[in-house]
Amino acid sequence: MKMDVVISGVGGQGNIFASLVISQYAMNKKLNVLGAETIGAAQRGGAVVSHIRIAEGEIYSPLISRGQADLLISMEYVEMLRHIRLLNPQGAYLLNAMKIPTVLNNMGLDEYPEQEEILKAARQYCPNGYVIEASATAKKLGNIQMTNVVMLGALVRIMPFFDYDEFKWLINANSPERFKEANIKGFEEGFKLIN
Amino acid sequence: MKEKKYAMGDTAIARGALEAGVRVVAGYPGTPATEIVDECLGVPGVHVEWANNEKVAFELCTGASLCHVRAMPVMKHNGTNFVTDFLMHVNFTGIRGGLVLISADDPGGLSSQNEEDTRILVHQYAHLPIFDPCSPQEAKAMVKEAFDLSEKTELVLCLRPVTRVCHARGIIEFEDLPKDLPAAHYEPDRERFIMSAVEMTKFGGLKRPQIRHRWLNEKQPLLEKIMEESPYNWAEKGEGKIGLVGCGMGYTLIKEAEQYMDQKLPLLKLGTLPLPRKKIKEFVKGLEKVVIFEETEPFVEGLFKKIFHEEKIKVEVLGRSGFVPADGELNLQIILDTVKKAVIELQVNQPQIPTLDVHIPIRTRTQCVGCNYRGILNALKQTVRKHKGIVAGDIGCHDAGSFRPLELQSTIYCMGSSVPMASGMVLSGVNRPVFAFIGDSTFYHNGILGLMNAATNKINVKVILGENTVTAMTGFQPHPGTGVTLAGEKTAPVNVPKLAESMGISYRVVNPYDIEQCREALEAAVKEDGPSLIVSSMPCYLLSTRRGQKVFEPREVRLDEERCNGCMLCINDFGCPAISFEKQKKKVTIDPMICVGCALCVDVCKRGAIS
Repeated sequence: MKMDVVISGVGGQGNIFASLVISQYAMNKKLNVLGAETIGAAQRGGAVVSHIRIAEGEIYSPLISRGQADLLISMEYVEMLRHIRLLNPQGAYLLNAMKIPTVLNNMGLDEYPEQEEILKAARQYCPNGYVIEASATAKKLGNIQMTNVVMLGALVRIMPFFDYDEFKWLINANSPERFKEANIKGFEEGFKLIN
Repeated sequence: MKEKKYAMGDTAIARGALEAGVRVVAGYPGTPATEIVDECLGVPGVHVEWANNEKVAFELCTGASLCHVRAMPVMKHNGTNFVTDFLMHVNFTGIRGGLVLISADDPGGLSSQNEEDTRILVHQYAHLPIFDPCSPQEAKAMVKEAFDLSEKTELVLCLRPVTRVCHARGIIEFEDLPKDLPAAHYEPDRERFIMSAVEMTKFGGLKRPQIRHRWLNEKQPLLEKIMEESPYNWAEKGEGKIGLVGCGMGYTLIKEAEQYMDQKLPLLKLGTLPLPRKKIKEFVKGLEKVVIFEETEPFVEGLFKKIFHEEKIKVEVLGRSGFVPADGELNLQIILDTVKKAVIELQVNQPQIPTLDVHIPIRTRTQCVGCNYRGILNALKQTVRKHKGIVAGDIGCHDAGSFRPLELQSTIYCMGSSVPMASGMVLSGVNRPVFAFIGDSTFYHNGILGLMNAATNKINVKVILGENTVTAMTGFQPHPGTGVTLAGEKTAPVNVPKLAESMGISYRVVNPYDIEQCREALEAAVKEDGPSLIVSSMPCYLLSTRRGQKVFEPREVRLDEERCNGCMLCINDFGCPAISFEKQKKKVTIDPMICVGCALCVDVCKRGAIS
């Protein structure tokens, strides 16, 4: 078996936490894991992407190549599009319905595509997609920074490969003391977002 | 006891050094090497520090090594450039305690101002041995061995990991740390450690530099012998007359590519310099061509050509001097396309993907929402416009002021270049006010020298020092202005006003959250003749917030749509990500989800539409 996961978003959306939970889950299952991250731009509103490669056998490149990802998790519309070519069209994507315009969008010098146009392009590329209000849910729960754990909850719902209880345990173990309870709540709410 | 952890390549390198008994670790932050230093922290008896620049770090580590303890200077490629002068001496003297130089390269310039291949500097120029790892796990093993070999050969050994090794994460085996580190001691050996043009009687009066050069040259056969037997070079059998050679990350990508190819080609994995000549000769027997994949320059390719010339081997050598792209980072697609070009009959089975017909906006980085740089940059933008000024820039978070919308800084080169370049512009007689914008970490790195020069030579340059009291760009490492060491100990922060006073430079300290005050200070500086310093002083917003400290009193910022006339001043001269332009309304909006309430934009708007 293999499970290649791409997580994309904008700096500060909690990509790295999500990628650590997924990686540790795979490691605990005695699988091989290799990953790569773009960091540096992370704190300054740049595009961020994490690659996580899980397999029974040897894994070589830490980067997932074109059409190979089984799962694309995106925290933002355009950041999903940016990496969608990595996704196997038979795979699945999970998108947080959140728009973060770029600097040039703000200046009115570049067009941010219409949401419907983005979703249409994604559907045409890969029919198996889930779009959820993770940031809105996180905000309702009191902290938009919980978007990542809400996404992880939804992920467990759509991918039977990932285990609910195990993820809960890992989120708890990786969260700072003062966020433990809230993060678990966010995870549970994320799970409920998909029927 | 062994323990497996999912960890970053940088963590693996740090762990390897700690397991090897490193005693002193010093570096200057730079992507992708930064985490190596951070990850060394916390082991009793091991001194770990951020030096104010890489040269200081390297020299400090060499001092430790001469007292027979193991040391590791850590830097990215720009740092290796910066230490070249010292490197070209320590290669001649050699070392005592194991000294492993970490010189991390960033192919493709993913987080750098340039891309380069420090193997050339360290191996070709300084004649020192290098390990080029293909994975985090191999990097860890290599570091450990490098310390042993460094002591065995008395030479600095270099590990040259690329970004995809440093910032890859994998399952790393952690082993026990050594219980006792050897005690330090020092014996003078002036014939070695006094690098000076002294006549050496026992060498017929030849000067010492030549004799030390000879010593280094005489080390080369030993290095070749060691690398010939190294476990980091090996050959894999395959079909056909075309062989592939993968150096470091190049090997990893070839292994990835093999999964898409219908044929296994002969493959030589290389991880050392000097190269294993015998292994190479054995590998190419019966081959017609070899294709070499290496990051970034055709360096091993050149060495292959030299070996083949010397050994009269008639095998064609292809690589980054024309066959493989000569710039940028290697990737799977480049490997597949290049191998296909060399082996015409090869079938490559890559998944087909649908085309995508939608515009994807580019996302450039900017300052954080709430960052104090936005205040001083806005004030500078206004001043520069008014006086037709020119701004020379430097490395750091403020560099995003050179991108759209501000497009303020006109030049950015390397660490500390801003003040001397601005000085040169002044001296050219361009007859416009010239500013230099530099952050404090860069200032202490070597930027201070440019300022001192401007003071000494009375150059009419206007220097803005963005004092956010930390190396923010790379993740908040302390520097001489922070007042705390990496280990968390309190220390005296450098007092910039006193520094300026001692140089005889006029200075003004401003609060960047007060744009008016900044503008007045800039205006006064422009009016005076001679060098001026403006210290824009306020701790980094992001770090302060994380620590629960306030650098401003956050408040709700509102836009009065009636007053906004869509002039876009708040976007074009300020560029806060929370403010965007609404085309239909021809007005701006402030996104409350993004705004942190610094209220700087209130001062930016000339119509009083923001309150």
